[in-house]
Amino acid sequence: MIARAPIVALTLRGLLDRRRTWLMLALAAVPVVLVGLAAGFGDARIEPDDFDSLIVQLVLPLIALVFGTAAIGAELEEGTIVYLLTKPIRRARLVASKGVVVAGLTAALIAPAAILTGIVAGLTGNDVTSAGLAYGVAAAVGGAAYAMLFMAISTFTTRALAIGLAYVMLWEGVLADLLEGTRTFSIRQATLAVARELAGENPPEGAIALEQGVFILVAVIVGAAAVATWRMSRYQIRGGD
Amino acid sequence: MSGRSEATISVDHVSRWYGNVVAVNDISFEVGRGITGLLGPNGAGKTTLLHMIAGLLAPSAGDVRVDGATSWRRPDMYRRVGLVPERETVYPYLSGREFVQLNAHLHHLEDPRAAVERAIDRVELSHDADRRVGTYSKGMRQRIKMAGALVHDPSVLVLDEPFNGMDPRQRLQMFELLRQMADEGRTVLLSSHILEEVERLADSVLVVYAGRLAASGDFRSIRQLMTDRPHVFSVRSSDDRRLGALLLGEDCVFGVELDASGLRVRTSDYGEFTRRIPRVAQGAGIRLVELRPTDDSLESVFAYLVGR
Repeated sequence: MIARAPIVALTLRGLLDRRRTWLMLALAAVPVVLVGLAAGFGDARIEPDDFDSLIVQLVLPLIALVFGTAAIGAELEEGTIVYLLTKPIRRARLVASKGVVVAGLTAALIAPAAILTGIVAGLTGNDVTSAGLAYGVAAAVGGAAYAMLFMAISTFTTRALAIGLAYVMLWEGVLADLLEGTRTFSIRQATLAVARELAGENPPEGAIALEQGVFILVAVIVGAAAVATWRMSRYQIRGGD
Repeated sequence: MSGRSEATISVDHVSRWYGNVVAVNDISFEVGRGITGLLGPNGAGKTTLLHMIAGLLAPSAGDVRVDGATSWRRPDMYRRVGLVPERETVYPYLSGREFVQLNAHLHHLEDPRAAVERAIDRVELSHDADRRVGTYSKGMRQRIKMAGALVHDPSVLVLDEPFNGMDPRQRLQMFELLRQMADEGRTVLLSSHILEEVERLADSVLVVYAGRLAASGDFRSIRQLMTDRPHVFSVRSSDDRRLGALLLGEDCVFGVELDASGLRVRTSDYGEFTRRIPRVAQGAGIRLVELRPTDDSLESVFAYLVGR
């Protein structure tokens, strides 16, 4: 694979070390296990909204955060980025290759997690299997936006993980629920707009529209890629002495 | 390096500062084919200079050119330039061969497989090429970095402290490899804080100290300057006062101070003084207890060159 897509192959190898892979698989399994336990043993009723709290609000940003901040951020911290920067390749290609990997890995984990959660809930008598599929597809797109955003942040600061967590917890978790205007800048709200449309749900009052949601997700993906490219084309490696 | 073959690297009144800290201060030089050593103590600004030459750092002032074009923000330059960075970190999860393959494919080489094998052979790592880089010794990591920098057959090779972590045998191999590269007509610029390394390898040197260019040119003339500089020795003996008086009569001694810890003797000729003092002491029946140069660190040599 190094021959066909060297940066993609390198990034995959770097991100999928044994510990991180198990951790991410465990994280993706959380909603499946929780729904199985709640519906199987607790007789709880699973609603489409539960996909928001378990998948979109909890697991999706965390997986995207881990992959997004490590793809370029780890190379900048460890100094290995020098081997990529001293090659005759366009910085846009570097960022696009890394972006494809983080978006792909996030989607590869979150979509099956949502679909499996729907199937497990369906097996216990809840009619949310199709909602699981809808949330899975929407989360895959939302995951790309999150991962690209976090990757772009990691090109500016070594504290990308903390900043990403603050965005997810404070902005999306608190402010976007309280202040309607902030939803325009919320990847979670945009992801929910797509998921609700695909699931055929009626959006609650104050929710952003599908078109707006799609625009936000596309704008974040394209904007983050452009910002990361701009940053990497000016990235300077200070001398140690 | 004027007077040498056509310059491939040109540094023209270059400065680099970080906030109030000046790392490189108005340095100008040219480097042509062959091996040039960039010599200076740790913290002198060598890596900052090499990073500006390698296009990894923008100069705050001045211009750095490689093959006639500005090096900063010019990715196409790397078709002709290879860099061996100082940091040891190499992707630990790749094998040595995969690391060199990565470099080859990023350069879009026509026959990457042959280029990879050639580069690995040159650094004599064929037997260990399939081991993960994370299991390599420091010296092996230096060599695989070298293979990665050579895989596209660059005409300009920039190496930052390439001998760090190498054992004597590996150093000799690397010396040989670099000489071959120079004989093939390449420009090799390497940094080191070890005088002997540069002395054995480089035709020309650039001496950097505290961000300034202290000296440049043929190594022998700079070595002479270093040898001829004033030296200070700390001397203790069974009769410091009498020995001091006797030493003042020697041509190579131009100053003697006596204090509680013994004598501090200033000499203009390191070798002559170390030959004369045992004879003087023996002739006067004085027992020498200690003879120690007080300023023999490379740093003091560089400081002398700058202050000259």
